Amino acid sequence: MAPADPNSTGSTGGGATRDQASVKVPSKDPKKKDEKKDEDLSEEDLALKQQLELYVERVQDSDPGLQKAALESMRNLAGEIAQEYAKRQTEEAIIDDLMELVGQIVAFHMKHNAEPEAVDLLMEVEDLDLLVEHVDNANYKRTCLYLTSSAKYLPGPDDMLVLDIAYTIYMKFEEFPRALQIALYLDNMQYVKQVFTSCNDPQKKRQFCFILARHGITFELDEDMCSEDDEREGLQEIINNIKVNEGYLTLARDIEVMEPKSPEDIYKAHLLDGRASGGGSVDSARQNLAATFVNAFVNAGFGQDKLMTVPSEASSSGSSTSWLFKNKEHGKASAAASLGMILLWDVDSGLAQLDKYFHSTDMHVIAGALLGVGIVNCGIKNECDPALALLSEYVDKEDSSIRIGAIMGLGLAYAGSQDEQIRSKLTPILGDAKASLDVIAFTAISLGLVYVGSCNEDVAQAIIFALMDRSESELGEPLTRLLPLGLGLLYLGKQESVEATAEVSKTFDEKIRKYCDMTLLSCAYAGTGNVLKVQHFLGQCAQHLEKGETYQGPAVLGIAMVAMAEELGVEMAIRSLEHLLQYGEQNIRRAVPLALGLLCISNPKVNVMDTLSRLSHDADTEVAMAAIVSLGLIGAGTNNARIAGMLRNLSSYYYKDASLLFCVRIAQGLVHLGKGLLTLAPYHSERFLLSPTALAGLVTLLHACLDMKAIILGKYHYVLYFLVLAMQPRMLMTVDENLKPLSVPVRVGQAVDVVGQAGRPKTITGFQTHSTPVLLSAGDRAELATEKYVPLSPILEGFVILKENPEYREDH
Amino acid sequence: MPTVSVKWQKELFSNVEIDTSQSPYVFKCQLYDLTGVPPERQKIMVKGGLLKDDADWSTLGVKEGQKFMMMGTADEIVKAPEKGPVFAEDIPEEEQVIHVGHSAGLFNLGNTCYMNSTVQCLHSVPELKSALIKYPPPVRSNEVDQTSHLLTVATRDLFNDLDKNVKPVAPMRFLTELRKKYPQFAQLHNGVYMQQDAEECWTQLIYTLSQSLKSPSSSEGLDTVKRLFGIDLVSRVHCPESGEESTETESVYSLKCHISQEVNHLHEGLKHGLKSELEKASPSLGRSALYLKDSRINDLPRYLTVQFVRFFWKRESNQKAKILRKVDYPLELDVYDFCSDDLRKRLEVPRRILRDEEGKKLGLKTREKNSGSSSTDNDVKMAEAEASSNRSGDLSKSEPVEDAPEKEKALTGIYDLVAVLTHKGRSADSGHYVAWVKQENGKWIQFDDDNPIPQREEDITRLSGGGDWHMAYICMYKARDVPM
Repeated sequence: MAPADPNSTGSTGGGATRDQASVKVPSKDPKKKDEKKDEDLSEEDLALKQQLELYVERVQDSDPGLQKAALESMRNLAGEIAQEYAKRQTEEAIIDDLMELVGQIVAFHMKHNAEPEAVDLLMEVEDLDLLVEHVDNANYKRTCLYLTSSAKYLPGPDDMLVLDIAYTIYMKFEEFPRALQIALYLDNMQYVKQVFTSCNDPQKKRQFCFILARHGITFELDEDMCSEDDEREGLQEIINNIKVNEGYLTLARDIEVMEPKSPEDIYKAHLLDGRASGGGSVDSARQNLAATFVNAFVNAGFGQDKLMTVPSEASSSGSSTSWLFKNKEHGKASAAASLGMILLWDVDSGLAQLDKYFHSTDMHVIAGALLGVGIVNCGIKNECDPALALLSEYVDKEDSSIRIGAIMGLGLAYAGSQDEQIRSKLTPILGDAKASLDVIAFTAISLGLVYVGSCNEDVAQAIIFALMDRSESELGEPLTRLLPLGLGLLYLGKQESVEATAEVSKTFDEKIRKYCDMTLLSCAYAGTGNVLKVQHFLGQCAQHLEKGETYQGPAVLGIAMVAMAEELGVEMAIRSLEHLLQYGEQNIRRAVPLALGLLCISNPKVNVMDTLSRLSHDADTEVAMAAIVSLGLIGAGTNNARIAGMLRNLSSYYYKDASLLFCVRIAQGLVHLGKGLLTLAPYHSERFLLSPTALAGLVTLLHACLDMKAIILGKYHYVLYFLVLAMQPRMLMTVDENLKPLSVPVRVGQAVDVVGQAGRPKTITGFQTHSTPVLLSAGDRAELATEKYVPLSPILEGFVILKENPEYREDH
Repeated sequence: MPTVSVKWQKELFSNVEIDTSQSPYVFKCQLYDLTGVPPERQKIMVKGGLLKDDADWSTLGVKEGQKFMMMGTADEIVKAPEKGPVFAEDIPEEEQVIHVGHSAGLFNLGNTCYMNSTVQCLHSVPELKSALIKYPPPVRSNEVDQTSHLLTVATRDLFNDLDKNVKPVAPMRFLTELRKKYPQFAQLHNGVYMQQDAEECWTQLIYTLSQSLKSPSSSEGLDTVKRLFGIDLVSRVHCPESGEESTETESVYSLKCHISQEVNHLHEGLKHGLKSELEKASPSLGRSALYLKDSRINDLPRYLTVQFVRFFWKRESNQKAKILRKVDYPLELDVYDFCSDDLRKRLEVPRRILRDEEGKKLGLKTREKNSGSSSTDNDVKMAEAEASSNRSGDLSKSEPVEDAPEKEKALTGIYDLVAVLTHKGRSADSGHYVAWVKQENGKWIQFDDDNPIPQREEDITRLSGGGDWHMAYICMYKARDVPM
């Protein structure tokens, strides 16, 4: 029926001549009416149809002026069809005739670089499947880009549908890395598998494995996905993230930051005037503990430092021992565990160096060593399962600090793995009447981490029972907050799946009911950008509470967790939080800095920095402490000079207040995390994918920060190590087909949003050319500056395999 | 007999044979040969479990070519040091003072900053402290009245409290005694105690202490306070009209720095303050005539107090108004110019010794540098490190020397600034008084009532006035002396 000739010349672009077109009213009398088959159409449709045909004719007209007018009118027509469709839906009338028109318009739009219009129309008439037939090699990229970015603003379940279509299109055009990303976004392992089975290129499969490793999920390859044993082993190794340490150290050597840094190098007290606290002769346990953490954060993953690892040439009883024992009691646990952080991802040497602590007689040292084993193995899978082998026997020990060390270690090492063995080890502890509250709290968190986003019924049951067993007084304890959080983590980002559990939580003791409800909701909708949920949380914060209720803290964090999904949401949430700061009560104000920290994690936005800087001098010390820690979070791994300066001044401002000074030190350590090579951002792959384990780690720390004095400034400071889950090198490492580092020139610049733009617009702006490996900051995007190689992944982040371009010719 | 590979640290031992008929302990001994790690220190991980010494190979189901991972080192086991470190948090509060590096602040008990700042300044004089510790003497003289006695005791106890505490002290008793002795400090205005002039408080307190600390048994007949703060002046009173001339001697506790249009510097102000005009009856003229009084210092104290005459009585506003003029003062003050000829003579030898000593120090330093530059960089660092350690050693050593018999020490007329009492505000009875005191470790602390704040030395000289910032009202200088 459609008279549109597919060979008609492409449009000359409507946008530029819009003014001209709008002047021309398409009111030429419709002479050439074709009356056939019109009997089943309503009068209105008839008019529509006639108009369409007229436009199509005009588009084919040789006169360019007429063509433009026709294109412009086509847009109006699409709008009218959408209205008509909505009307007929309510009347339940037949829509076949409309769909026929839609088919024509979509075909037309797709031919004429107007993919967004086509997608919009199809979404209006709820028939996106139609799109698949119309995409071709020339426009599938723009179409899918529009689909994926619009998904963030669609209500469920439309968003899933849209992504599903995008996946289908990518698969159709064999754009596997993009398809894999969408599969990961949908958390659909079936799709992931399909990507592997559909692709036959072993190099590409390696690239997929790197993407999976960065996302931090556990995934087992089977015969279907890779038939050859040797090859599969190699691929599995990449998924198990064995390579990350090597790549990270290559980056560090390239940037020349291997030299270990001491906490003093970070504090830079010499830049402060005479106010730097002299102190001097006597060690303060609090300050030594801070130095331990700073040292661990700064030298994370480098394998050497100036406090914990003994330089090889030094004598055997070197500084390591002495620094460990410069920490007091539970501080020794964090000190021993910091060795794990320094040797992060390097399982072989990490275990060797931690070994000596296993034979210590000091309970805290052993606890720290156990935790250290967990940290070293964080994000790394090993077929020998050393963490499980070493830690499992300590889980049921008498001493509660040892138990916590082992339990937390397991949680860190196996986060997201959904390992059955861990579950059978840990769930009995929740029901153990003899176990102390802290042991139970850490068990709940570890289970939540291991089963993050799994909606596992059994684990949920176990935690619910543990919550119900708590006595009235225990429910008031600061650490009890970790139990609902552990439960919430099971449903991280799983939206409606939480509802059954949320119902159960309504039967809990009144003291914790609301708190539990908020925590569960915030976790379930984390990273969805669901505006209704943000409103819900804001509504909760608007209430003025009687004394003693604390559920507004998680509600404020919930705003950040939900809204962090995309940039616009982040901006809106920052503004809303500003209001809460002005009108909210004390328990809300205390959570606001933390929420800001999560929204801009490793992304020091100037306006947020200013707000936090203001709050860091707040009269309420808890607000100040939260703001200081958040300054560290937003600057984490950036070496941001402005934040570093602010913190340095704060360190002299608060030199007398040991607790605040501790927070300042921690923040200073965070800003220089991995000497500026690491990021804590859970979002990756051009801010599209959210790593669930990374988010879980951050959220756990933030919940612990809701009661800073009792947890981090108390004896549970090692919760700071939950951050290890979110630590990732913020690098672009290009490797050749043998996975050897390959240095090529790349352009790194600010990413530009090119959704819905015609042609091939530049994707980065204000770029500089570097040679790989390079560091990428928040909002940065890289592109190859040479034609010599072709990247196997369209997203240049993390490890990217480069293939030589067969068409490349050196020009002289 | 399956062969397995064992990974240990970064090494991989492939083709290790397992004798399945023997216990795993035998296997561990095999590995001992390879790695040097004793079997009891070995942890062998097989699929998420540890290999036990008495395990049965058959139940483990070891496959050919399976990978094991071994953890363990032959390293020394970490032992806790026998004597654990002492942490600041564990130390009882009174011992913490040494580590904080300064003494405690004083709570403001309602417009008592004038008193707090005075006490903090005087508290920095160690000789005064030691004199107070000896109080009361075994034989109390009858000259001291009860209220003075009680005030002296209160001062002693307050100084003691300041030394012992890290947290601020509330000087309740001292205030009560002060108000008992000097009721003018208990003046009320609208039911509130009024702000007072710190200089008045300073003078009265010094006077009381000088009375009560006067030891009757002392052979010199001199009281401690006089020795510490007293300045002997010799004045030539001259009447230009009649040509009469006479000499007077007097003893004061502070030098006045008069501030007029021409005065920009402490030196000029002092010169001004030592000259005065007075009218008195002239015996030769038979009527009162104008006399010029020209004073010179005849004897120097260990602590020289300089008062900036910043306040004058303004009749129209009925209050002590303030001169805001900026008057610079040095960190090192030389009073040689103000001394009498007699004193100058006495000062000559000590001044020469001091000059020589300083010259020697400089010369020594240059020599040290020369030797450093000739050797390699490493040596320079070493030398620097040594030098710094020596310096710190010197500091600690120098203190007992100071306490050595004082007669062997001679004053040089050169003084170092040790305390500044500042005022902020427009009149003496309002505004805020703060003490800035140099600590024994050389650091400056601003005592703003209960809040001691470390300060830089260069900020101390910025208190010279000329704005609405804190400005120096009383400066206390400590004598630089040389052993004779």
